[in-house]
Amino acid sequence: MKKQLFYFVTAVHDVFFIFGKTLLTCLKGPHRAKEIFHHINQIGIGSLPVILLSTAFAGFVITGEIAFHMDEALHTVEMIPGFSAQFILREIGVVIPALLMVSKAGAANTAEVGSMKVTEQIDALRLLQIDPIEYLVYPRFVASIVSLACLTLISIFVTLSCATAIAVIRYHFTWLEYVNSLLVFVTPRDLISALLKGLVFGAVIPVISCFYGFRCTGGAEGVGSATTNSVVTSTILIILLDFVLTFAFSVLLY
Amino acid sequence: MAISFKNVAKAFGQKKVLDGVSFSVETGEVLFILGKSGMGKSVTLKTTIGLMKPDRGEIYVHGEAVHTASEHTLAQVRKKCGMVFQHPALLDSLTIFENVAFGLETKNRERVIECLKLVHLDESILNRKPQEISYGMQKRVSLARTLAPGPQILLFDEPTTGLDPITTNAVNELIAELSDRLNVTSVVVSHDMGCALRIADRILVLDQGNILALDTVDRIKSSSEPLIQDFLREAL
Repeated sequence: MKKQLFYFVTAVHDVFFIFGKTLLTCLKGPHRAKEIFHHINQIGIGSLPVILLSTAFAGFVITGEIAFHMDEALHTVEMIPGFSAQFILREIGVVIPALLMVSKAGAANTAEVGSMKVTEQIDALRLLQIDPIEYLVYPRFVASIVSLACLTLISIFVTLSCATAIAVIRYHFTWLEYVNSLLVFVTPRDLISALLKGLVFGAVIPVISCFYGFRCTGGAEGVGSATTNSVVTSTILIILLDFVLTFAFSVLLY
Repeated sequence: MAISFKNVAKAFGQKKVLDGVSFSVETGEVLFILGKSGMGKSVTLKTTIGLMKPDRGEIYVHGEAVHTASEHTLAQVRKKCGMVFQHPALLDSLTIFENVAFGLETKNRERVIECLKLVHLDESILNRKPQEISYGMQKRVSLARTLAPGPQILLFDEPTTGLDPITTNAVNELIAELSDRLNVTSVVVSHDMGCALRIADRILVLDQGNILALDTVDRIKSSSEPLIQDFLREAL
């Protein structure tokens, strides 16, 4: 028990240390643009197809589910646009891309940094006067924030489009009716909260994934176990932070 | 004095890897550290340059206290040191040229080629990635990268593991030559007693976290310690 508590405390310390040092590196101003673009390409553009596919189907499902329950309870489906749009902007459009990025980019980060750790590349970096956090975490951090902010907007657009399409095809809304009804419920604050959540999740994923990479020990088994732990922890943290941020925004923004 | 260990201890959980180890290495000396696996040889190297902190004891490199050093002091100490790791530890995303030039202040192509030649490699591999060359070549590139900034102290963690006999010989000769010609201090962790007998000035044998023997090659040869006898038998 004592050992687990010690592990937990040092882990929290290390996560905040990595986060703080990465923020300090960001304060130096933009640098290492080549690596940042490389990671944006890998994280952002690489994740785009899977996010487009998943969010499109999420849009179909949301309209169907909301319509079903609204019809059951209220015997009307008139408020589908407002309810589904708010749900998409506040939750689904933000959380789905973040979780997909955890499983794609977060896992890849941990595996890459973990492999570097077990093959002593991190030690070699330190010996060559290169700060591993600045070299490995900073470009991923910036790329992840930029990518997830963009992916959040894209995912909201795709989910909303697909939700609208189903509403038009199955529930006989016109496009104009749907958009007009949607605009009554949705405000710029919903978009701001979605973007802020995207930025926070974008910051969490590289910090947690690199933290597990740095802590990796042993060989292939160690890398595998670090990757699993990284995905599990990031997923839990994103869901937990989603709750905290939703609560905070409900107090501060609405 | 290049390196000095005073009563250094390091444990991982219940396992004591170093248990009050004291020794020193003179400038220009080639010291071989021998011992069975898990006896703290690599830990000794890593604590020397602050990649690991000892649990207790004092470590000095050219008079600088490494055990209490700040990151700034450690950076100064590391400028004087180079280390060849057990793994090649090359950065996969960089080319061979970028890897070798990584520790250089100015990315000097001539210096990179010169270092590659020292380890029997030529410039044809400069634009390749580490994964495009063999493991043995990667180890040699790793050695070239370590030599590039011109360190005063070289730490080798099993530098010849995975190399063919000809390259192994070349690397061993290079270690001896660096010591003779440039007065570079070398600490070599190895299992290869034959190589130690050929090029070491002194040999340190670690066992169960303690120094079993630390002596000149001739005296080690006449030691009656069973572990040393085992190593000597392997070398013959």
